Amino acid sequence: MKYMILTYASQHDYDGMAGRGTDQPAWSPEEFAAMGAFMEAFNTELVEAGELVETRALAAPVHTRRLGAQHGVAFVTDGPYAETQEVLAGYWIVECDSFDRATEIAGRLAACPAPEQVTANAYADVRPIMESAAEITY
Amino acid sequence: MSGTDLESLLRELAPQVLGAVVRRYGNFDIAEDAVQEAMLAAATQWPSEGAPDNPKGWLITVAARRLTDLLRSEQSRRRREDTVARWELPTRQPEPANSPADSDDTLILLFMCCHPALSPSSQLALTLRAVGGLTTAEVARAFLVAEGTMTRRITRAKQQIKHSGIPFRLPASEERAERLATVLHVLYLIFTEGYAATAGPRLHRIELSTEAIRLTRMVHKALPDDGEVAGLLALMLLTDARTAARTTAAGELVPLAEQDRSLWNSDDIAEGVALITSALPRGTVGPYQLQAAIAAIHDEAQSTQQTDWPQIKALYELLLQTSDNPMVALNHAVAVAMADGPAAGLERVQTLAKEKQLAEDHRLYAVRAHLLEMTGDTPGAREAYLAAARRATNLPQQRYLNRQAARLDDADNDSDKSALWLIN
Repeated sequence: MKYMILTYASQHDYDGMAGRGTDQPAWSPEEFAAMGAFMEAFNTELVEAGELVETRALAAPVHTRRLGAQHGVAFVTDGPYAETQEVLAGYWIVECDSFDRATEIAGRLAACPAPEQVTANAYADVRPIMESAAEITY
Repeated sequence: MSGTDLESLLRELAPQVLGAVVRRYGNFDIAEDAVQEAMLAAATQWPSEGAPDNPKGWLITVAARRLTDLLRSEQSRRRREDTVARWELPTRQPEPANSPADSDDTLILLFMCCHPALSPSSQLALTLRAVGGLTTAEVARAFLVAEGTMTRRITRAKQQIKHSGIPFRLPASEERAERLATVLHVLYLIFTEGYAATAGPRLHRIELSTEAIRLTRMVHKALPDDGEVAGLLALMLLTDARTAARTTAAGELVPLAEQDRSLWNSDDIAEGVALITSALPRGTVGPYQLQAAIAAIHDEAQSTQQTDWPQIKALYELLLQTSDNPMVALNHAVAVAMADGPAAGLERVQTLAKEKQLAEDHRLYAVRAHLLEMTGDTPGAREAYLAAARRATNLPQQRYLNRQAARLDDADNDSDKSALWLIN
């Protein structure tokens, strides 16, 4: 079974990581390096266990382009999110034996080193991935 | 023989063995699998049983035997699928005499793997596996994708080569120059992929840049008189020489002007300078040679102040004639500023900002910030550093740019320490 693990962050969280203080302080070089080292080890372990399908980090929310329509008129908006709104920041697709195993993997992200204001309210979601068209049709 | 020695011997022999097997039996796609299996057998047997007297002959024999097995099972599978088996089993004797040099086989393989029909990502992956002798798992790890994904990418690339019917020989001389340019570009991409990952916190992927240098060395050995091959190898060595100084222990970017030059690798610099010095006078000077010449001037200078900027400016002007790459134009603007003063450089940047390709690029803002700082316009520089940081997507680069803005927050002095980030 495949599962997607999703993590979230606001533009302010991204700014902090990029070394720019907002309503929260900027990450120090050591804090930033510690997170990088953790993620590298975490991903390597998943690769070696044969459980990683794909993982990506997304660029800051400010780089988002939103396409849509309003009253039948198409629009494109750059950076549609508020500075403090939490949006998708990164994902892992894992292939493993059970939902519980995927949850266990996601749970290990809690150990990722980060400044206190970040870890205090961090969370991740785990969602099963539909494997075939049969699962989305009636 | 130590594990590392064995590994480098096998990796060195990999393209020669594959070349010999394909030359005799054809079937590039299956031969490539057979050679990987032969290498695996060697890696498990030789440490305990000792390496054979003729390692290459051993590998060819084992790979040929494995190829026979693979072809047989493929044929019977095809018969079961009610398809006429098309392939001859390898009963032919190896081609005698005038067997070409090993370095030619390596070249032919590179030309195959970098065939223009393949997508760049397939060219990279196949080159690393078939010529570099890396396993699929290793290639997958270098590109941070799952092994299954990489297996499919490589299999598809091999299928495309098979269906295209490319013969196993060097391309005809009239198309060789163009094909060699593709090969060099693929090697350059492997190098830059290793040098700066486009996303994520980690900046160096050392294994890939080392591998690119090793492969380019092989091409240089096969074509010692080609100036662009020598130029590319020199460029890689002269760039790689600065790796240790390019980031702090915590992984933060250090711009060229602030790098501790005692950390630069003097052996690599000496080799790169020698290569480019002997290549330049030999004939037509291509873009790799020009870039290597620029890198050599930086690497030989004691400091940014003592760098021969008029010379660098002149080299960028030559480079601009061979390429419409906007980054070349931006680097040229930096050189103009250093040679003729920041106002002249800013004028170039203004012109470039009107071009669509660069208008929203963080590097344009970073250069503008740096040049504004040189003119003493601290608030303008600070604003431009922040604008650059907002536009960058690579976190280490963002951190660097925000650090520059914060530095200008703290003090209006110390403007000497300004940063030549771009040509880092």
